[in-house]
Amino acid sequence: MNTAFKKSICRFFAVALITLPFQTGQAAMIGTDQVASAAMVQGDRTLVLNHLSRSQTASAFQAMGLDAQEASDRVAGMTDAEVGSLAGQINAVPAGGDGLVALVLVVFFIWYFAFRR
Amino acid sequence: MDSNPLLWCRRVRLTAGALLLLGGFSGCASLVPQTMGLRDTWPADVAVRSENTEVPFFPQQEYQCGPAALATTLVNAGTAVSPEELLKLVYLPERKGSLQVEMLAAPRHYSLVSYQLAPRFDALLQEVAAGNPVIVLQDIGVGPFTDWHYAVVVGFDYPAGELFLRSGETRRLAIPFTIFEYTWQRSNYWAMVTLPPGRIPASAGEKDYLAAISAMDRVGKPAASVLAYSTFLQRWPGNVGASVGLANRHYALGALADAEATLQRAAAHHPDSVPVLNNMAQVLSDLGRNEEALALVERAARPEGSPYAEAVRETRALVLQRMGKDR
Repeated sequence: MNTAFKKSICRFFAVALITLPFQTGQAAMIGTDQVASAAMVQGDRTLVLNHLSRSQTASAFQAMGLDAQEASDRVAGMTDAEVGSLAGQINAVPAGGDGLVALVLVVFFIWYFAFRR
Repeated sequence: MDSNPLLWCRRVRLTAGALLLLGGFSGCASLVPQTMGLRDTWPADVAVRSENTEVPFFPQQEYQCGPAALATTLVNAGTAVSPEELLKLVYLPERKGSLQVEMLAAPRHYSLVSYQLAPRFDALLQEVAAGNPVIVLQDIGVGPFTDWHYAVVVGFDYPAGELFLRSGETRRLAIPFTIFEYTWQRSNYWAMVTLPPGRIPASAGEKDYLAAISAMDRVGKPAASVLAYSTFLQRWPGNVGASVGLANRHYALGALADAEATLQRAAAHHPDSVPVLNNMAQVLSDLGRNEEALALVERAARPEGSPYAEAVRETRALVLQRMGKDR
């Protein structure tokens, strides 16, 4: 395969990535997000990155026990900034679940009674 | 698990003990700076006592304080939903818990606006005093251990020094301001409310609340977006983002006349706004008024280096094409 051909395939995918998921059927109306979000429009690069981080986040959710539909539903409800805040650190951000109290209590009591004097 | 209220009390006492001990070394004020701040300045227009006793209660199932807390505020906002139903939106089996962004994202699927509060006691108290239950993220682990937990603040009694929470399996947990802040500050004072689209949070700021609405706009019902933007514009009439949002919703629903009226009002405040000009051109063109549309889109094309240049070019091409067809 020659490079020109490869390049044109790459171009095709880049364009598809940019346009397909964002085709809203709203003709040339400027989108609400573009105006309302503090980030404003930063060009196609941002769109591609957003799309990538959305699908990455969805896959990360799948890896954490959700099915594909649930994962994409959850990501759909998030803003670009929120998706960005998760990118690559779903394991690092707090997950409120309150499951460790018993263990913590045991450790704490040991500490309390063993070391208080 | 936070099942036993007795355990909680004991833990609160232990935490208090640990606090005192630490306080002796580092000075109490630095441990709970916001509680100390309240002593000097209580937020204006907030009563010292307030409680919304109508807020429902969903005792938490294993690890599932996220869905339980969320169901509490969603049902309070008039949405029929159960914690079990919310599991699929806000629970990660692998993490045995719910992430903050999931908590913010889930209510939007029910056409409610989730608003993250400013990380301050006064914002929290303002919301609670206005009757809005507030979801908070606490770290109730002791010492070096973290143990994240969502609870819902429904009231407070400052003279008695207590806040009232729907928490875990406790319907009305009374917790001192100091202990509460100690557990709450580790989440950087994370708090949120979920409100129907026609109700602006008591502590809402213009920019943040607009972002909250447009986030709901992604997945909520169109009618909810229309209501949210309209209510927003009553409070902040000059906001161009909300006007464009409202007009886009009208446009998507096929209400071209409403879209035009909304954009006309926005143009009165912002005659040179490119999004307003461009979108109005699109609407007028759809209404068959291509001459007017062309004039607007030419004005929209004027600013150099506008981030909307591409959209304006497309609109202009469309208008010209339609004019060609008409002739």
